[in-house]
Amino acid sequence: MSNSFDDDNLFAEFCDDYFAECEEHLTIVRRGLLALDNFVNQPQVASSLLEELFRSFHSLKGMSGMIGVKEAEQVAHEMESYLRALREQQVILSQAGVDALIAGTKMLEQILAMRQSKQPAPDIESVIKQIAAVVVATGAGTSAAVNSSAHLTLKPAQIAQLNAAVQSAKQVWLFEFTPVSTLAERGVNVNKIRDRLQQNGELIHAAPRILTTGGIIFDFVVASDASESIFASWENDGITYTPFELNSPAETENSALSPNTVPLLQEEGSPTLGGLGLPRQNSLPSAAPTTSNVVRVDLAKLDDLMRMVGELVISRARLEDNLKKIETLVPVTELRALRETNLTLGRQLRDLRQGVMRVRLVPISEIFARMQFVVRDIAKESHKKVTLELSGQETEIDKFLVERMMDPLLHLVRNAVSHGLESEDERVRNGKSPQAKLVLRAATAGEMVVIEIEDDGRGVDIECITAKARQLGLIAADATLDINKALEIICSPGFSTREQADLTSGRGVGMAVVKNTVLELGGLLTLDSQPGEGTRFTIQLPLTLAIADALIVKAGGQTFAVPLAVVREVMEIQSLKVTALENNEIISYRGNVLPLLRLTRLFQLPVCSNSSMAVLVVGTGSSAVGIAVDRILNQREIVVRSLTDPFVQVPGISGATELGDGRVVLIIDASALFQLSQLLIFSTPHHPNATNNGNGAKKQPQASTFFC
Amino acid sequence: MIDSHNGSEPFILFELVGTTYALRSKFIQQMEMIEQITPVPNAPHFVEGVVFSRGQVVPTVNLRARFGFEKIPYDVRTRLIVIHTDNRTVGIIADTAREFISIPVNAIKPPPDGISGLSGKYLEGIVTLGDRMVLILNPDELLKTDF
Amino acid sequence: MKQILVVDDSATMRHMVMASLHDLTDVDFHEASSELEAIEHLALAAIDLMILDLNMPDMHGLEVLKFVRGHHNYQNIPIIVLTTRGDESSRGATLEAGASCYLTKPFEPGEIAHRADSLLKSFAG
Repeated sequence: MSNSFDDDNLFAEFCDDYFAECEEHLTIVRRGLLALDNFVNQPQVASSLLEELFRSFHSLKGMSGMIGVKEAEQVAHEMESYLRALREQQVILSQAGVDALIAGTKMLEQILAMRQSKQPAPDIESVIKQIAAVVVATGAGTSAAVNSSAHLTLKPAQIAQLNAAVQSAKQVWLFEFTPVSTLAERGVNVNKIRDRLQQNGELIHAAPRILTTGGIIFDFVVASDASESIFASWENDGITYTPFELNSPAETENSALSPNTVPLLQEEGSPTLGGLGLPRQNSLPSAAPTTSNVVRVDLAKLDDLMRMVGELVISRARLEDNLKKIETLVPVTELRALRETNLTLGRQLRDLRQGVMRVRLVPISEIFARMQFVVRDIAKESHKKVTLELSGQETEIDKFLVERMMDPLLHLVRNAVSHGLESEDERVRNGKSPQAKLVLRAATAGEMVVIEIEDDGRGVDIECITAKARQLGLIAADATLDINKALEIICSPGFSTREQADLTSGRGVGMAVVKNTVLELGGLLTLDSQPGEGTRFTIQLPLTLAIADALIVKAGGQTFAVPLAVVREVMEIQSLKVTALENNEIISYRGNVLPLLRLTRLFQLPVCSNSSMAVLVVGTGSSAVGIAVDRILNQREIVVRSLTDPFVQVPGISGATELGDGRVVLIIDASALFQLSQLLIFSTPHHPNATNNGNGAKKQPQASTFFC
Repeated sequence: MIDSHNGSEPFILFELVGTTYALRSKFIQQMEMIEQITPVPNAPHFVEGVVFSRGQVVPTVNLRARFGFEKIPYDVRTRLIVIHTDNRTVGIIADTAREFISIPVNAIKPPPDGISGLSGKYLEGIVTLGDRMVLILNPDELLKTDF
Repeated sequence: MKQILVVDDSATMRHMVMASLHDLTDVDFHEASSELEAIEHLALAAIDLMILDLNMPDMHGLEVLKFVRGHHNYQNIPIIVLTTRGDESSRGATLEAGASCYLTKPFEPGEIAHRADSLLKSFAG
């Protein structure tokens, strides 16, 4: 069995890279499969698409082999074979072929997931058979004929592409790039140049050429509607350009093609400059983002950055404190200048925080691509014809949100297909098109992402919901429901679990979970529906989420979370080692004294007399303090929610979180604790309540700038 | 929600220290048993803390404390009534919540001038249902931050 | 210092190849994620050995081979071609086009190290 990584596999250290890169390829594959649907039973599939898929499976296969994930290697191998057969045009893309590729992709996902969780691999036999069945290829080897690099030979597909570009009034240019060390040192290399050209037009041909002097230059043929003045500025980067003309004018005439039909062009008819039967090149530009300018970042590294930003925020708070202390000593004009600088610093810090948060954003296509499989499966099961329309796939959303929203969205999509959409017969009876439609949309609106799930089905039956709600006593017997109230009702836990079977609109199951997840993430769920015309769920989510690593601590019997970003060190201290100094307590720390703030005292919690306590060191240098708690429970990632209601805006608490058991845990605002302690020291120590009615409670708005 | 046919409006009735109060059901987001309340240090004395309810962190007010009565321990009859007004969501804790009821709008009388004191300002009206008197509360006053 | 150019569009794969060659002394690695980039490296650095994956974004690996062998400056650079299972039929064409040797993924780390070592030595000599 090859079910676990060989311990002696030299490449075991690459496992994390392997999984990450596999996920990247699978993302490309899911997007590619979606596009592939348009080519079913067409004579030829867009070669750029095939190449992209082929390369991904090739990489998956190669890596899996090296790492020792034999099952993935085998499945990827079968899929690669089918794509090769398609590329060589030995078979025509069939529906069964697409299904097989999808089944194979799902299997790859599963194999990788199992491997990641160290479980035995699933059985791949049937998937292998399914894929093998569609490969009718015989001798699917690479054809050996290769174009010798004479000066600029275009292949038939490229010529077609070029013609199409000319048809759509684009100018075709020949760019020449001469690589030089000095350019390379500046980061100007051939990959960058290719990307730059692709951004400015359609890259038709890219190849190196040997000069008679022995030097090398690269030729790029690009169709572009960009202004020539843009290119002129590139000469410093070793790029020269001239208008490009095809030598044989005849062929531009015989092809009245729309740009869209290019990939379907028959090869036979087109005149060629190069040889025939060459392995097709894949220099077709695709809508897919080029991966070469994408950097993969470990989330842990981002968290590090976030932690550093958190430290900066603390330092600035200290600065502000110190600024206050010298207020009376400094001339007004100087003080004003200092204050302005401090404010600017605050603003810049916020921008920096936001910038770091934005790095966590990923395109929502990661979610959408998965939905196509679900829709396909359920539609098939329930014998419905469903067209899935996706829009706004490039919309970006926090990586964490992607993970959290996957299940709720799956649920809405499943519900829409299995319950929202009518059967083919019913649709026809009601004068609707037999082909039902499901639309997934995403868009950014300000700081929110809006996701819509819309079907053209039977709509939500408010009458029915009303009747059930009355029966369950959820509303008064003579109350009526509007659509908002109806949504609330179908999302209430009692309603959905009890009534899932006989609620005809069938939207009962798990809606409570959907709504709770959305609310938990700080979002909003709304519903629109017209009887007989369709239903639309709209989810609004914040673009980025305040997520933080936190230490979960106990103090005075209550649990709190302390953002890890502000904690420099954690120590265990014997109670005996604490020195009382008037109203202060201090401990010695690395040869210095550290003021000690007891959470139990600041928050007036019951004190338990332990012989030791845990101290979290917060802040740096002379402004460092130790926060004393009874003990530390663990460390975990928390979703930070702000506490905005005036009833619970108190000093020392920056927000709240929930750890999964339904209980709220308050988040400590370390920098505000320091201020709170100052207040306690200056007010009578015997009546710490003084903070309540004094300015303490109102003083706190900056506490929440930490996270939200 | 307002049933215009007979000019009545749905209310939720609840009990506090032996008196029946009513809140318009349009302000009520949900009603549930008391689960875990997390105390919030240094919050106003009538704020019990925060609860996690349907994905939201909701501040909760002990209505007994708010009205100046003595607090009692929660039991199975204790209810958390989550009120949603313009932009705030706050839970209030009542001794028990009884029922939904439709009250004819024209049966609601303004509170007599004689009622003042602690709870007087929270009153929006009074209605007599059969032999019992029901005090209708103004949620905006309940949630005011004049502490 | 010998210069080894590793050409593969998969970063993980490049790293695995380099890890396999970890025991070679006195070598420097260059990485290229596309064929065009590989050729650029040839033009800019004195490459002593190239390790080339056959399936890449810009050109087919065979075209790279032909290109390199067609250039008098580079025609003697040893090239190890990497392919995967199922691509074996390209073996003949690859060797004909000028590959010095041909390895199928998954390969044994020791095997590629041995091949690289001996190719570097023979090229030097």
